[in-house]
Amino acid sequence: MIKRYAALIRNAWLVDLQYRASIVLWLLWGVTEPAIALGIWWAIAGDGSVAGYARADFARYFFAVMLINQLTIAWDSWYLDRWIREGELNYRLARPLHPAHEAVAENIAYKARTASVILVVWLVVAVAWPAVRLPFDPGRWAVTAVAVLLAAAMRFFISFTTGLLAFWTTRATAIMDLHAGVSLFLAGRIAPLALLPPAVAGVAGVLWFRSMLAFPVDVLTGAVHGTDAIVRGLAAQLVWLGVWVGAYRLAWIRGLRRYGAVGG
Amino acid sequence: MTLRIPHSAFRILAAFWRLNLAEELQYRANFVASVLGTLFYMATALLTLALFFHHTTSLGGWNYWEIVVLLGVFNALTGVIEAVLRPGIGQLAGEVRSGELDLVLVKPVDAQGFVSFRRLDVWRFTDVVLGLGLAGYALFRLGHTPSLAQLSAFGLSLAAAAVVVYAIWVVLMSLAFWFVSVENIAVLFDAVYEGARYPVTAYPGALRFLFVYLIPIAWTTTIPASALTGRLRPEIALVAAGVAGVAFALARALWRAALRRYSGASG
Repeated sequence: MIKRYAALIRNAWLVDLQYRASIVLWLLWGVTEPAIALGIWWAIAGDGSVAGYARADFARYFFAVMLINQLTIAWDSWYLDRWIREGELNYRLARPLHPAHEAVAENIAYKARTASVILVVWLVVAVAWPAVRLPFDPGRWAVTAVAVLLAAAMRFFISFTTGLLAFWTTRATAIMDLHAGVSLFLAGRIAPLALLPPAVAGVAGVLWFRSMLAFPVDVLTGAVHGTDAIVRGLAAQLVWLGVWVGAYRLAWIRGLRRYGAVGG
Repeated sequence: MTLRIPHSAFRILAAFWRLNLAEELQYRANFVASVLGTLFYMATALLTLALFFHHTTSLGGWNYWEIVVLLGVFNALTGVIEAVLRPGIGQLAGEVRSGELDLVLVKPVDAQGFVSFRRLDVWRFTDVVLGLGLAGYALFRLGHTPSLAQLSAFGLSLAAAAVVVYAIWVVLMSLAFWFVSVENIAVLFDAVYEGARYPVTAYPGALRFLFVYLIPIAWTTTIPASALTGRLRPEIALVAAGVAGVAFALARALWRAALRRYSGASG
């Protein structure tokens, strides 16, 4: 299995290498949204602070969003939609390896490349701009790594499962867009959850949105601290990961049955 | 001569658009999907704005409804982009790579105009209507009735804004000649244009300079909205027209340079 994965990741890495310019474009697109949100909050905070967030806190928050969003984002619903609509799923099903493994390998190759670019940029910026520096704290970084891994796995299953809806509808990617629109607020892409009206932030915490992005970001910046809060956050991530894996199993089995019926 | 060529070009484009319209009318469900998509997009933009104003009373010196006017302008321009500009650019990247662009270049029409306007996504024109509607509603909430001078300044600066957007777009299309593998070069536009959703005065100094002088998106939304609400004097529209003229000329020059590179590559 490890050898297979090595081959898949190497393959995805080489494919990406052909489309370097494309990847730079997606990277730019990915960082503009947090950069602009930072610009606006920067103006609003002025010399004071907003709900406890001063300018430097916003800077750290949105730099963390850029990095962790890139590490956890999953484009798979768009691939799945195309595979199903154009029949590209057929030869993938004929392989002795579940198509999800190919998707996971692609995610790893893509994220390794783009996230390391962001990390390097962050380090370079931090040399000149003290506001975005994080205190040296290996323990917190280790917890962040776990939270990012769980978030990435969950967003992969959300994206993959939504893509599988293409078995039933031609608008699977529109549903993903809808989810992205909601996550703009509930996952903390436009503002830290602490700045949302409490009721909305509560919904984000009960559903899976906080686990997607805001929780790992808050762990990295230190907004979530203390064993209790961290354990509860990780537990929520695990529960929602389990739910989405279940949804994926259901959609995959039902969908394939349906797909077979159409193709047969 | 100079009169005849645009005329024939327009006839050809008109024929393309008729075919396009006939094709699109077969897919009327797309109309509903497009309107719903736009309404959802507008709702998220308004909610984002509401969130910002939950914590402040003004953004870059603008109040809530003034920025909603700007969002309306933004949406109207997005409609123009989605209806007219975006449908063609993917095709161009493919043609540059495969050499099919030869077929366009030998046509006795202006290649830039032809490549830019040959495909329409007619449903997205509803975005223009919805956007202007939003701007109108925000004006009503502001209690501001624009004078005739303000309205004509708005009209002129909105036209200038469309030209500026088009110029930025032509620059991107020209880049397709250098980076042939880039089919999604339009993503770069989305990234930059994202900045036009807020008044340029809300940004820190360096970013403001960038948006006014280098990537002139300040002229696409901030200026028309300012002309409409009376924040800037109507004369600003003349400056906007000048900026549009310069942007168009520069973009055209770059397109020419790119075309020269193309014939060099295939020859």
